[in-house]
Amino acid sequence: MPKIEIYEEPFYRALGKKYGNEELIELLTAAKAELDEHLKDEGLLKIELNDTNRPDLWSMAGLARQLNIYLGEPITGYDFFSTKEELKDYSSRVVEVDAGLKSIRPYFAAFVARGRAIDEPQLKDLIQTQEKLCWNYGRRRSSISMGVYRADLIDFPIKYRAVDPDATSFVPLDMEKELSLRQILTEHPKGVEYGSIVADYSLFPFLEDSKGEVLSFPPIINSAHLGAVKVGDSEHLIEMTGTDMESLLHAASIVACDLADEGYEILPVKVIYPFDTPYGKEIVTPYYFQSDVTMDIDYAAKLLGEKLTVEDGVRFVLKMGSKVKVKGSALTVTPPPYRNDFLHPVDVVEEIMIGRGMDSFKPVWPEDFTVGRLSETEIYNRRIREIMVGLGYQEMIYNYLGSRRDFMERMNLNGEDIIEIANPMTENYEIVRNSQLPNLLSSESVSANGVYPHRIFEIGKIAYKDSSENYGSVTQNTLSFLIADGEAGFNDANSHLSALFFYLTREYSLQEVEDPRFINGRVGGIICNGVKLGIIGEFHPAVLDNWGIQMPCVGAEIDIDLLMGKE
Amino acid sequence: MDVETYVKGLHPLEIKLLRKYKSGNKITSSGLISELSYNLGQCNQAFSWLSAKELIEETKRVKRVEYELTGLGREYREKGTPEERIYQLIQEEGALSLPELAVKLVLEKRDVGSAFGSLSKEGLLSLNADKQVMIKDESRSEKLESRRQLLDLFGGELEGNTEQATISETELSPEQAELASSLSRKRGTGRGLFRVTEREEVTYGITAEGEKVRRLLIDRKISGEEIGVITPEVIKSGEWREKGFRGYNLNIPPLRVLLGRKNPYVEFLERLKDKLISLGFEEFDGPLLETEFWNSDALFMPQFHSARDIHDVYHIKEPTHAKEIEQPSLDQVAATHEDGWKTGSRGWRYRFDRDFTRRMILRSHGTVLSARTLPKAKIPGKYFGVVRCFRYDRVDATHLADFYQTEGIVLGEDVNLRTLLGLLKMFAEEVAGAEEVKYVPGYFPFTEPSVEVHIKHPELGWFELGGSGIFRPEVTEPLGIKVPVLAWGLGIDRMALVSMGLNDLRDLFTQDIERVRLRRRK
Repeated sequence: MPKIEIYEEPFYRALGKKYGNEELIELLTAAKAELDEHLKDEGLLKIELNDTNRPDLWSMAGLARQLNIYLGEPITGYDFFSTKEELKDYSSRVVEVDAGLKSIRPYFAAFVARGRAIDEPQLKDLIQTQEKLCWNYGRRRSSISMGVYRADLIDFPIKYRAVDPDATSFVPLDMEKELSLRQILTEHPKGVEYGSIVADYSLFPFLEDSKGEVLSFPPIINSAHLGAVKVGDSEHLIEMTGTDMESLLHAASIVACDLADEGYEILPVKVIYPFDTPYGKEIVTPYYFQSDVTMDIDYAAKLLGEKLTVEDGVRFVLKMGSKVKVKGSALTVTPPPYRNDFLHPVDVVEEIMIGRGMDSFKPVWPEDFTVGRLSETEIYNRRIREIMVGLGYQEMIYNYLGSRRDFMERMNLNGEDIIEIANPMTENYEIVRNSQLPNLLSSESVSANGVYPHRIFEIGKIAYKDSSENYGSVTQNTLSFLIADGEAGFNDANSHLSALFFYLTREYSLQEVEDPRFINGRVGGIICNGVKLGIIGEFHPAVLDNWGIQMPCVGAEIDIDLLMGKE
Repeated sequence: MDVETYVKGLHPLEIKLLRKYKSGNKITSSGLISELSYNLGQCNQAFSWLSAKELIEETKRVKRVEYELTGLGREYREKGTPEERIYQLIQEEGALSLPELAVKLVLEKRDVGSAFGSLSKEGLLSLNADKQVMIKDESRSEKLESRRQLLDLFGGELEGNTEQATISETELSPEQAELASSLSRKRGTGRGLFRVTEREEVTYGITAEGEKVRRLLIDRKISGEEIGVITPEVIKSGEWREKGFRGYNLNIPPLRVLLGRKNPYVEFLERLKDKLISLGFEEFDGPLLETEFWNSDALFMPQFHSARDIHDVYHIKEPTHAKEIEQPSLDQVAATHEDGWKTGSRGWRYRFDRDFTRRMILRSHGTVLSARTLPKAKIPGKYFGVVRCFRYDRVDATHLADFYQTEGIVLGEDVNLRTLLGLLKMFAEEVAGAEEVKYVPGYFPFTEPSVEVHIKHPELGWFELGGSGIFRPEVTEPLGIKVPVLAWGLGIDRMALVSMGLNDLRDLFTQDIERVRLRRRK
């Protein structure tokens, strides 16, 4: 979930009053936001935004807008949005998209904001908006990236091209020398960070104006000349490229509304595609693409468990920032341009809930009678647990993820049925355990200072590959136990196994097996009703040595699913 | 401590001593040995216990030298010293050579040599012309006599009682004492007739407090002969009918026992489950490995959602994909993502990827199982699971790579936001013991509306207990459910930690046996 930093002074100026922290926390719930930290010395508020479908709240301007409307300020429209029916004047501001981009990074949106010298907090907020939108909403720039430029230096039409990365070069931001696009991927920090988005293509996205002045190499880095925005600049070109047109148009709408709220005039830009897009071959941005959503007030009343009139519905929807029309008991909501989260009438229900206020809903006890029940497995697990405790064992509980070292190398196993994680974060968590025995041995290896004997067990899940299954793997409920003691031997473990099976009304026999984890001749497969459901044996000193254990250990592992006769 | 308490806690050794001696009597270990048949160890125990309780006190301390026969000394006392034996043999058999003496007496040559030397020096024996030993003086040697007397002191009435075969220096004449000392084993030599021990003999007397205890013992007829450990013989013989039982000191620290025990965290989870079934919930469970379909697609999270990137879930190296996804769930979910299907939603408006949806991952949240339960759920129905989930997170005190999540659903014709709040209130009070409850709007991709519940916990203060909401129609309808479904999840690990006095999540899964053995729940 995104976290933003905003300056108190402009934020409270926008809200028209200064709030204490307690008051602010209360107010922020209307935007599903939480005050994370208040840095008093720097005059900064750190705020966490919980709704990942509301990127419009991830900036000072957007958050202030939502809260102001909630507090009663009238909804202001924005007059610079084009729609399917009406194109706004784009003057000579045109962007031409190259056909080669269709399979690389096809979509483009832009506008110019002018009329106000940008100050320090505003520039920071704009950069933060860019980061949050592109990182969280734009999936680390892969579906949306954004650039800001000095518009007064740009000559339209702008060309959005697919170019040879080795034959094209410019001076990127924060560097002094010219680099080819290919070099930027390895030599510029942003190239290193984001290069993988374009690296596999033979041509790279590239943005220049009609005179050949370079704007940027999207989605990586701006040019040092046109792409270096400074405090005091008053005319900015905002541009976005990406792979998903809808989220791109949405992101552009958010930034346009934010800048408009801060006093900028927004000038549309026309984008011309040589291929079809979901919104045609020519589109003027910012572009309003939301559809109205119609909801019956009775639907909201049923879901919220409260009587609601149409007037109530209208009042609460307006309080959350959408315009609404009424026909009978139906409310037709027109979402504001900066929002793209009205998918279903149920989304209007939540607007009414928040608009009405959480405190206005009184909890009622659920009335339906239902029978509570533990799962069969849990009931059986508890039976086993009780017997193991009676046998004098301490129950342990372990992580299910582990390392190849512990589960393969130290056990003298090649681990052919072990499930490996494709993207492990560390080597300590790179496989899903296929046995509990390594966990029990790991306990023994760190517990030599604890009074002996050690008798431990675990009931839990393991998983292993099984190509006959739909998922290619099986999750199995498993019991394992271990005795470590100077006098621990096979017979002790077998006595306990025998007691366990007696009380579970099961019979077993042991079948000689060879297993590199155990001493040959002192390890048996546990056979019950003709099926092998476990193993019991004395651990081989070579395995104990791998774990740094100097105490004899004997253990067993049993498939509980088979034992309880589960299908 | 009062007298009563002393009386109860006394050991038979103490009781017998106290009963035997009045105030003013001199109490010594040799006295106890002869009068109460204590051995020296018992004497010392009785002295040290009673002194600690200040029932007796030290009155005098003397250094005492005691002699005791060594093995050699005992042999000489019984068979005679080499000198005596040589003298006697020659008296009986006439003159013999030194080697003949050694053979006949089974003595070592050097012992024969030194005994002869000592006797000839005294003028009792001499060598004749044939180098045979002969008697020179028939009168018995004074030296032989005094040595015999000394050795015989250790016999007599103490015969057979080797333990008591010690004689104090004070019991010997000065001449005897000197002789005994000269015949004692010296440091560095193995041979000697006597072993010398020097010990301090301490004399004790009964204190005023001791006298009170003593009177009480006599009044109560406590003899010290009461039964101690009760054995089958005690019961069988019936001796308990005659004798009383000795009371034990109840406050001696007991020995540690290694017992079988549930893991306290498992016990916490069991109680949680019991609580939930008492509230009418039925338990569900499922596989650790899941498909993208059930983990996210069925929950209407778009496939391009940022939370579904490689950095947020663990992918499986092999097999990478499930063979198939259940129908009609797959078609209906896919259609709902693309255009809303029949749910009244506009959908996410993208091309649903049917390969991606089969991709295998480690389940990242318990809501997977809520989704899986929907196609077969009863209405009305309540379900829950406490299930292991996996998160792509750096492991530290507040984040684990795998951990338990507690999640569930409530299905019913008439469930709504207010019943959801009621449910949360029930959890807050029944599961968490909350003092106050607060609800705030929340966000989850699969619920609308969504509500978070914050509670004031008696020990943790305010914290977020859980998240909840009403499943979106885009979640329930493609899985065949037409009624509203309340979905909830509880964060219980902080309560688990506080109940065990821990503050690091990693401790829940510690490997250390001793730490788990000693861990307790409040």
